[in-house]
Amino acid sequence: MLAELINPYYLQVLSFILINIILGISIYITLSTGQLSLGHAGFMGIGAYTSAIVTINYDLPLIVGILLGAIVAGLTGILIGLPTLRLQGVYLAIATLGFGEVVRVLFINWEGMTQGAVGISSIPHIGRELVTGLRDTGFTADMIGIRSNQLISVLVFLILLVVTILLISFFVRQHRSRVGRAFAAIKMDESAAEAMGINITYYKVLAFAQGALVAGFAGALYAHITAYISPSDFSYHRAVEILIFAVFGGSEVIAGPIFGAIFLTSMPELLRDVSEYRYMIYGVILVAMMAFRPQGLIDYNMIHKLKRLRKKKDQKTIDEKESKRHDIGS
Amino acid sequence: MLLEQLINGLTLGSIYAIVALGYTLVFGVLGIINMAHGEIFMFGAFMGVVVTHTLQLPLALAFLVAIAVTAMLGLFLELIALRPLRGKKGVSHLAPLISTIGVSIFLENLAHHFFGAGNRPFNTSFSQLSIQIGSVTIYAVQLVIFAIAILLMISLSFWLSKTKAGKALRACAENLEAASLLGVNTKKMIMLTVIIASVIGGIAGVLVGMAFNSVTPQMGLSMGLKGLAIIILGGMGSVRGAMVGGLILGLSETMIVVFGESGYRDAIAFIAIIIILLVRPQGLFGQPVTEARR
Repeated sequence: MLAELINPYYLQVLSFILINIILGISIYITLSTGQLSLGHAGFMGIGAYTSAIVTINYDLPLIVGILLGAIVAGLTGILIGLPTLRLQGVYLAIATLGFGEVVRVLFINWEGMTQGAVGISSIPHIGRELVTGLRDTGFTADMIGIRSNQLISVLVFLILLVVTILLISFFVRQHRSRVGRAFAAIKMDESAAEAMGINITYYKVLAFAQGALVAGFAGALYAHITAYISPSDFSYHRAVEILIFAVFGGSEVIAGPIFGAIFLTSMPELLRDVSEYRYMIYGVILVAMMAFRPQGLIDYNMIHKLKRLRKKKDQKTIDEKESKRHDIGS
Repeated sequence: MLLEQLINGLTLGSIYAIVALGYTLVFGVLGIINMAHGEIFMFGAFMGVVVTHTLQLPLALAFLVAIAVTAMLGLFLELIALRPLRGKKGVSHLAPLISTIGVSIFLENLAHHFFGAGNRPFNTSFSQLSIQIGSVTIYAVQLVIFAIAILLMISLSFWLSKTKAGKALRACAENLEAASLLGVNTKKMIMLTVIIASVIGGIAGVLVGMAFNSVTPQMGLSMGLKGLAIIILGGMGSVRGAMVGGLILGLSETMIVVFGESGYRDAIAFIAIIIILLVRPQGLFGQPVTEARR
């Protein structure tokens, strides 16, 4: 029964959606201080390569590798962020774009470490490692009546789901905190924020580093789920893809990039004919969104309206109950 | 050997300079970075391939077709991606950047569909012509590229500084509103700027096709990124800066190949960006920015 329900392919698509959600969050954090970074593919690559190299060459456990990948990406974010955040808007975008390209060129040329353009294969796979770990404790897939590759995909999906939910809840909470308010103030007006006593450099670097950290984390997860990475996975196209999650879904609220990632990752899967024209459609989306709805599909107003609608509904049911009670009373 | 490399570097540098000119013109007038410029350049190169290789027509016609097609692309770019954003309230300054990124990724994949992913040769008998001076071989193509680059540079400078239209354009660059009040048709000037910039990119495309004999849909991206590096190096919106920056980048890239580190050739441009932004953010020839432009 359970065995027929679980389709490893669908679960893989869902896993990719989750990774893209994490990437969408990473660009959302950077955008939430009004900075456009085109270097997130580079950070993702740093995370992926770091984790892959340390787990293969030094036999570190997967979880250490993934965390290390995220941390290295975050530290690079601080290193790149400190000098470039003096720059504004367009300059920052170009500098980060340059950074992403340098990272890619480095991956291609540093053959001793990264195996060049061929890429690294046979990276330890999260699911497979877990299943072998479970087998040692005496638990196998047959015990719940599914095949072992099904168990692998289920485990990968569940782990990603938990991680994504944790990340989302962290950033939702941060958004309501002092840090989140500071980010929003900087996005609105930098000079005004500075006049209010907000240390802009600190918060901008913080947002940039957080974005880099999360992107590196997503990259490390990606490496251990596909088990194969190459420099072309982290090219300019990837940076645009990450950006479009936020541009399409919306960059004002965290629901925006999440929706963007879900929609844009599942679209080519649902419509097979479309997937060939995917990047052309991305291009059209970018242009159209800027012209008609620059804040993205989901924005403050929409969330606000939804909330009010729900309140009204609640009010209505209360009113109805009240009137019913009156009817009974009279 | 070294002299030959120097000539190669100068050729490469003049092409870079022409590409960077397109960026600099648009930035100078509109204050935005046109991320689609590299892809328009790539379309120019493909027009060269189609005319000379597929249709077997003369090279001069290739230039005409490339100019016509890239002018159209420039027009569409302005009408579809740039004009709707102009003067709109509440649009961040990043919007045109994102919008042109959209155009660039669209054009790249369009070219992918039309022409395929592979390398396309650009065979003209002309590209084999060479002159031997002592031990140095100079290809006629290199001379042509150099000549066209200089010609473009001079005529653009002349047009900008001496003609009425050029004056209007500079007025727009200085202050769009004031220029409009003084009777300059700013809408027309902006459109003209974008079209001229695109045409310059298209000409550069044909030149690159002639010089390197290979045209791919991805070349727009790499060339576009280098053009960006150059305008940052030379100073945003500075015509002279684009020329000098292009030559510097072309020469240093050729030199690093001579010294054997050819793999890192493409990284030079970006390392240059990061260094120049740290040391002298306004670029070599730029004016220090006192206030962020909106």
